[in-house]
Amino acid sequence: VFSTDDTIVAVATPPGHGGIGVVRLSGACAGRVAVQLVECAALEPRQATFTRVRAANGSPIDEVVATLFPSPRSYTGEDVVEISAHGSPVLLAEIVRAAVEHGARLAEPGEFTLRAFLNGRIDLPQAEAVADLVNAVTPGQARAAFDQLNGTLTTTIAEIERGLFDLSAKLEASLDFPDEGYHFLAPGEARAAIDRLAARIDALLAGATRGRAMREGRVAAICGRPNVGKSSLFNRLLGFDRAIVTAVEGTTRDLVDERLDLEGVPVRLVDTAGMRDAMDEVEAEGIARAGRAVDTADVVVVMLDRSRPLEASDRDLCSRTRGRPRVLVANKSDLPAAWRLDELDAGAIELSLATGDGLEAVRRAIGEAAGAGADGRDLPSVTNARHAALLERARDALGRAAGAAGAAAPEEIVLEDLGDARAALEEVTGARTSEDLLRHIFQTFCIGK
Amino acid sequence: MNYDVIVIGAGHAGCEAAWAAARMGASVAICTMSRETVALMPCNPAIGGTAKGHLVREIDALGGLMGRAIDATGLQFKILNRTRGPAVWSPRAQADKRRYAAWMRETLDREPRIDWIVGAAARIETDAGHVSGLVLEDGRRLGCRAVVVTTGTFLNGLIHIGREQIVAGRAGEPASEQLAASVRSYGFRCGRLKTGTPPRLHRASIDFSRFDQQRGDEPIVPFSFLSHRLEREQIVCHLLHTTEDVHALVRYHVDESPLYNGQIKGIGPRYCPSLEDKIMRFPDRERHQIFLEPEGLDVDEIYVNGFSTSLPREIQLALIRALPGLERAEMIRPGYAVEYDFVQPTELRPTLETKRVGGLYFAGQINGTSGYEEAAGQGLLAGVNAAARIIRREPLIVGRDQGYLGIMVDDLIAQGCLEPYRMFTSRAEHRLLLRIDNADLRLTPLGRAAGTVDDERWAIFEERRARLEKNRSRIRESVCATPAGRVPALRALRQPEIRLSDLVATRQLDLEDGSTALDVASLETEIKYEGYLRRQRSEVSRTRRLETRRIPAGFRFDGVPGLSNEIVQRLSEVLPATVGQAGRVPGMTPAALAVLAAFIDRSSAAPSP
Repeated sequence: VFSTDDTIVAVATPPGHGGIGVVRLSGACAGRVAVQLVECAALEPRQATFTRVRAANGSPIDEVVATLFPSPRSYTGEDVVEISAHGSPVLLAEIVRAAVEHGARLAEPGEFTLRAFLNGRIDLPQAEAVADLVNAVTPGQARAAFDQLNGTLTTTIAEIERGLFDLSAKLEASLDFPDEGYHFLAPGEARAAIDRLAARIDALLAGATRGRAMREGRVAAICGRPNVGKSSLFNRLLGFDRAIVTAVEGTTRDLVDERLDLEGVPVRLVDTAGMRDAMDEVEAEGIARAGRAVDTADVVVVMLDRSRPLEASDRDLCSRTRGRPRVLVANKSDLPAAWRLDELDAGAIELSLATGDGLEAVRRAIGEAAGAGADGRDLPSVTNARHAALLERARDALGRAAGAAGAAAPEEIVLEDLGDARAALEEVTGARTSEDLLRHIFQTFCIGK
Repeated sequence: MNYDVIVIGAGHAGCEAAWAAARMGASVAICTMSRETVALMPCNPAIGGTAKGHLVREIDALGGLMGRAIDATGLQFKILNRTRGPAVWSPRAQADKRRYAAWMRETLDREPRIDWIVGAAARIETDAGHVSGLVLEDGRRLGCRAVVVTTGTFLNGLIHIGREQIVAGRAGEPASEQLAASVRSYGFRCGRLKTGTPPRLHRASIDFSRFDQQRGDEPIVPFSFLSHRLEREQIVCHLLHTTEDVHALVRYHVDESPLYNGQIKGIGPRYCPSLEDKIMRFPDRERHQIFLEPEGLDVDEIYVNGFSTSLPREIQLALIRALPGLERAEMIRPGYAVEYDFVQPTELRPTLETKRVGGLYFAGQINGTSGYEEAAGQGLLAGVNAAARIIRREPLIVGRDQGYLGIMVDDLIAQGCLEPYRMFTSRAEHRLLLRIDNADLRLTPLGRAAGTVDDERWAIFEERRARLEKNRSRIRESVCATPAGRVPALRALRQPEIRLSDLVATRQLDLEDGSTALDVASLETEIKYEGYLRRQRSEVSRTRRLETRRIPAGFRFDGVPGLSNEIVQRLSEVLPATVGQAGRVPGMTPAALAVLAAFIDRSSAAPSP
């Protein structure tokens, strides 16, 4: 899998029909394979060439634009050729087959990105971000992945790492150069610096919850008594009729779900069966599933009927979901109210699906509960579980270091914990050696007799 | 004449190399230009310091001489970093240069397996890629099976004092030009380094009453594990500071410094900057420290520590006299800079044997290091390994987790040198494990196995090890009174404010008879640092796996896909023996290492045709 001496080929655009489809070749022979595919003798570097592409048997099959990106200034760092053809899966497969015929090898999944990484074109967080960007469902997801691809996250983590490195260097200097008449660090300064760094990691981690929501999507379950309008809300949020809506109670018997973009967060919206005493076995199973959906969803949308008195099942549902991310919706607000809003333990949003009043507020509330948040655009998102885990490891180590510094433990102990924190961040930013540390000390301080 | 091992040079590296090889039963000759310059300290009159003190303890634990020599002749002893944690406590002593050198020469003289050859080495002879003899400048030829080259600054040495340039190894001693050519003829990659030394002053011309006094510790903590109580009158050193007048004078004359007018090409140590560098590179610093240190009890010379310079003589004198208290000082010798050849230590194996010539070992400044202690440590290892090769024993290779000696050798052979290499505690990734109080526990068994630890030292060591074991059970079984009531001693001692020495002094806890302050330090640190030590040990066993994954001899790094040309070139120069070592080659990334490791596994699983 690590072999990079051959030339690989694959369809670079998603499966299915589209306006155009791109076949990408990468490797030392990419240019040579490409000119055997197309009807022109040579490709000018970085120039789009309009030409025709031939199938393995030599017959022309499509008009294409071919572009050669010579090494090292290409996506993978190797010679890369991109052939833009018309977006038919059959046609693209034929081009790939012809390329294999001429000596290329079918690429493994992710192999282009792997080569870019191995050739030093992108770092590890960037490589991971490429995969995220390609798989992005919503614009918010794409933007978070793009932040990472651009290295915004790497830059922020690198800043924290630099602060940590500088602090470590000063502490190391105080150990290795005790006779210099220097106060490398004022008393208490180490503790304050550790706290500042920990706070910066906390801020990134707070964004991580949102980041995870962004990457993995959130499940929002709509629940309530039969016929309060759950399926109607589901359809209205979706923008098309997905669930069957009737005036007959118990119409929705199984879970119905669909993906949608709420405030930039990908949400899997689940419509559930109404909570009541079941009329038959199928409905009983549906209601049991609804209960499980309520208990496992990231966000619970509790729907109440404003026009009919609250029942025990409404109150049960409210107490069952208390303290979790949830949205209380009082539907049918266009009808005369049968109860006061302050009878509930939390604020509810008034909604009329008949008029559409309150629908936007409900949409926003679900999005916020799912982790969209109005803030957070200032900080790059930590959408990647590996990054979150590394940041958490660094944060734990800084906590220990702060404790040690606060208890006036020797510097060598504080440095142990700082070293752990650095090791975690360096997995993102790349390792530094003790030689780098000494260089930093000598550049900053006049040391030596 | 024929010898097993010939050591060229009788400095700190040469003395340890000859001693260690002789201890192992090899017949040894020391080839030196003069018997008067054995174990000389051409620069500061001190042994030890941060991390260097650790090295001296380790040399001693392996049966070397440096610790005993300084204990016998030191004038003032201190533990640096006493207020900090036990892993960075470092012994340092002011030395009496003459007595130190005399002690060393007499000790070597008493060793019957060591001969002295007075003369200048000229040419190393080889037979089929292996050392076979040494030819001197006067034409004498000596047969041998191994040569340890410890030539310090002598290879093409060039001294600079202002515009004066003198071909010399040290002030007043000829450089080794023929030997330098002989070394270069084997194709080693060589470079130039630079170091310097400050002027020396007449003691009687200094008004010491004007300066702050610097005193030693009482009681003295010795370097050697063999030394008992050291009782002696300790000398006083003095501290003063540079003034703005001095800085202005340096700035005015800086063009006359060979460091600043392009005359010197070699790279000097950043941790030991010249006066010119201190003032030009750090203009914001108002003053710099200067220590006045006597070079011996009954010598006139005072060493001006912190005042290394290569400005012209008359300017040096003017600068000295601009210092308050030194207005009437007389200069015995000016400071100077010296440039010399070194061989990139990436040419060496972990045994310090060169990769190009079998039986040829390098130690000390020729490998790009600076410092007496660094040199002595390499000398010891090179001497042991030269002898081990001849008597067919396992080589002595110290792991990075076993000692600073191991860190030094590994750094040198994996990374090479861009400037003179000095040891620092920050180079140790497992610093808490590498303390001065446990250097013997870490290394003496290795020395015993290698053959450098004699019966006397081994008996003392075994006694101490047994005593520590008994004391550990005593502590485990004891209960003592604390403000919080009677608690197990082990739990009480985990509190930072409860000290083992106090419990012993108040008879709350009885240790074995004969327990020493060193024992108390070891026991206390083991208890107080227990969690951290356990973590470092588990890290060690994790990295050991990488250290034991060997890269086959003759492995072609250019055959590994996905490595950049730069990394391939560095790896091909260093030829790391293990995956762990490859990881420490500069520029290596975790990704590149993963690729390398995967490729080695694959090619060893299915050997390519």
